[in-house]
Amino acid sequence: MIERWALVSGLKGDLDTYELIQKDLKKTPGNITLFVLGDMIGPEKNCNRLLHRLINPKSNDLQPWCIYGWWEEQILLESGYRGDQRAEALRINKGEEVVKSLTNAVDKSFLDWIAALQFGFVELDCGLIHGSSKDVGENLTLDTPPLTLLDRLTRLQVNRLFTARSKQQFHLELTEGIVNSEVEDLNGNRKKEQKVPQKAVIGIGAGKNYTLYDVGTDNTQFVQAGYKTEKRIKGFGRL
Amino acid sequence: MNQAVISCLHANLPAVEAVLKDIELQGITNITCLGDLVGYGPQPNEVIELIRDKEIPTCQGCWDEDVVDGLDACDCSYPSQLAEKRGHFAHQWTTDKLTTENKDYLANLPYSIRKDKCLFVHGSPNSQHEYLLPDMDAFAALERVENARAEILFCGHTHQPYIRELADGSIAVKIKNAVPKDTQEKEIQLPMRRIVNAGSVGEPRHGGTKATYVVYNDVTNEVKIREVEYDIELTCKAIIDAGLPPIFAWRLKNGFEFAEQAEDASHVCER
Amino acid sequence: MSQVCLISGSPGCGKTNWILNTFKNYSGNCGYLRLGGYSEINLEQAINSKIDFAFLKDQIPNLLDLSISNSISEKDKENILIIIEFPQFFTPKSQGINGVDLRIINELEKYNLQPNRYLHFGRDPELSIKDTLDFREIESISLDLQKHIWDPASLNTFWFELVNGAYGDVYRAKALMNLPDGRYILFNWIVSQQGSQYQTLNQVAPLNGRPERCSEIVIQGKNLNFESIKATIHNCLLNDAVLDHHQTSLRNSQLQTARR
Repeated sequence: MIERWALVSGLKGDLDTYELIQKDLKKTPGNITLFVLGDMIGPEKNCNRLLHRLINPKSNDLQPWCIYGWWEEQILLESGYRGDQRAEALRINKGEEVVKSLTNAVDKSFLDWIAALQFGFVELDCGLIHGSSKDVGENLTLDTPPLTLLDRLTRLQVNRLFTARSKQQFHLELTEGIVNSEVEDLNGNRKKEQKVPQKAVIGIGAGKNYTLYDVGTDNTQFVQAGYKTEKRIKGFGRL
Repeated sequence: MNQAVISCLHANLPAVEAVLKDIELQGITNITCLGDLVGYGPQPNEVIELIRDKEIPTCQGCWDEDVVDGLDACDCSYPSQLAEKRGHFAHQWTTDKLTTENKDYLANLPYSIRKDKCLFVHGSPNSQHEYLLPDMDAFAALERVENARAEILFCGHTHQPYIRELADGSIAVKIKNAVPKDTQEKEIQLPMRRIVNAGSVGEPRHGGTKATYVVYNDVTNEVKIREVEYDIELTCKAIIDAGLPPIFAWRLKNGFEFAEQAEDASHVCER
Repeated sequence: MSQVCLISGSPGCGKTNWILNTFKNYSGNCGYLRLGGYSEINLEQAINSKIDFAFLKDQIPNLLDLSISNSISEKDKENILIIIEFPQFFTPKSQGINGVDLRIINELEKYNLQPNRYLHFGRDPELSIKDTLDFREIESISLDLQKHIWDPASLNTFWFELVNGAYGDVYRAKALMNLPDGRYILFNWIVSQQGSQYQTLNQVAPLNGRPERCSEIVIQGKNLNFESIKATIHNCLLNDAVLDHHQTSLRNSQLQTARR
């Protein structure tokens, strides 16, 4: 049986998109595991229905495995879950209104659940996180220097890193890495050549754009929510 | 020109004086200090005042930061309850002993110092609490230097001096898939970079009791590790006279750190 | 027919191990008694520690504790091997039972025990002389640690410091200690041997609260800094909150393993 992961992020309260994705996945062959990599909430719309659905999936829903993202971090900061810290960076960059909108968009009853979410998952030598292994808010993109990408992979000791923060969809491989290290200390000198096996960083997209990953073949498919339910135009006529 | 880099003084005045004398005997006037002027040792004010008097550019170490912030070094970095209690005791003792003026001095130390292609930090460019060990992943080590936009990174914190050169590196980058559609492949040559750890003046952890520091020549790019003997009994006596735990004197005299460091040296404080 | 064997030797010479092996090779009932011995000028005996009995009982569950009166029934007395040990620095002047210190004989009368054999480490060929040292001056310290539980990493540090002279010249140290995962560990060190000996006993305490079993440390040496030792040990022991945290975590971990 084909083992696939569906990787979703940046729903920001959009239950309709989530339902479309659930519909797509029901029609997708293989054994699917659904990961929601953070930013389930956002300041733009009320998030309670989506949160309720994630916590209490319908009987025919794929069980979502969720982690926290940048927006979740902001609401936890603002709600006192990080000691004395508050969402000051958000406040400075986007203004008080956005902070207020965020806290209004999420009912307090969901905060404990959000606080209990993990930073990421490590599955089968793959790291699944929102930003990077250094920071939930870090953007990893196609333009991120390869040394930085390698470091973020090394921090989690994984060979694949799935990230959502940048909203980009990409599958970037790092191969044939090699560097010579020479250390001199009070005991003498030692040399070592370090090679790096093939590693990859995969941007999974956000919102309607999500990713299907084939665990067996290491292939990614970048799709849009509802792609499985698009009406097909037949012949020359319009729909 | 030769310049000296010292680190981790830990309020050990006899050791600091011996090292500064050794530097002077070599005719070196350019000195940079990588922090941890205080912590465990018996002469925090004296050491700070000596560094200040000599106007030695200094960056803030993890102990300096913790004493200023009124926090203990993050608890998760102590490998045992005993080490933690000793650390907390030393922290409280140091905080009580420091003059306000010296605390202010520590508070205003920069996080890092940049001189041309050299960057000077206590732990790593990421954090005062991150250990850059000599055998850490070479690519991660290279990332630390490169990300800091330096060619040589001087650090301390581990109390074990070393010089590490990372060279002849390359990596192939391939875009396998993307939106919009893109597939590219290129090989990137990685630059040669160095990490130099200055060891510790006041609390060596290399298995010996001598103070260590490094000398760097910015023309030849040569780096040398220096070991300096000092009157350790003076420090031990000062520890006892100051009312610090006698075990600190025993550990110093026998070449052990005052409190063991965490096994997971890759730990970075989340605080 | 019962055998009552008295053995003596200086601290750390191997009495307990010899006793364990002797009991293991004996098919009948076994009984054990430890006497405290007597101090001499400059040679202080340790308190009569319970460590040895606790260790032997762990290894030989049917071992009878002869320090408790009326612990032997008439039935048990048949074909029983009784070993009584006591520490003694000096070699007896005479061979056999005649060499036994009269004070010991008098003490044994309280237990209604008459030895029919006496062996001393260093004198008798049956007992190895590997670990006998020439003691001239010795102090003793002991601490009752019942119900106390150690932070394992701290224990390692303390023990390392102790046997390497941080708290004075240690000739011999032995301890029976509790760990938060319920383990019961015997630590043993003698200056003439390379390295410490550690043994995890069979008993495992439940992950709930503090075990009531014997826990002690006995240290013999010179210029021992009792206050420092006590202070360091205190810093190594877990308080209730920390212990509860450890035990809860271990219990949860066990539950998860069981569910799989």
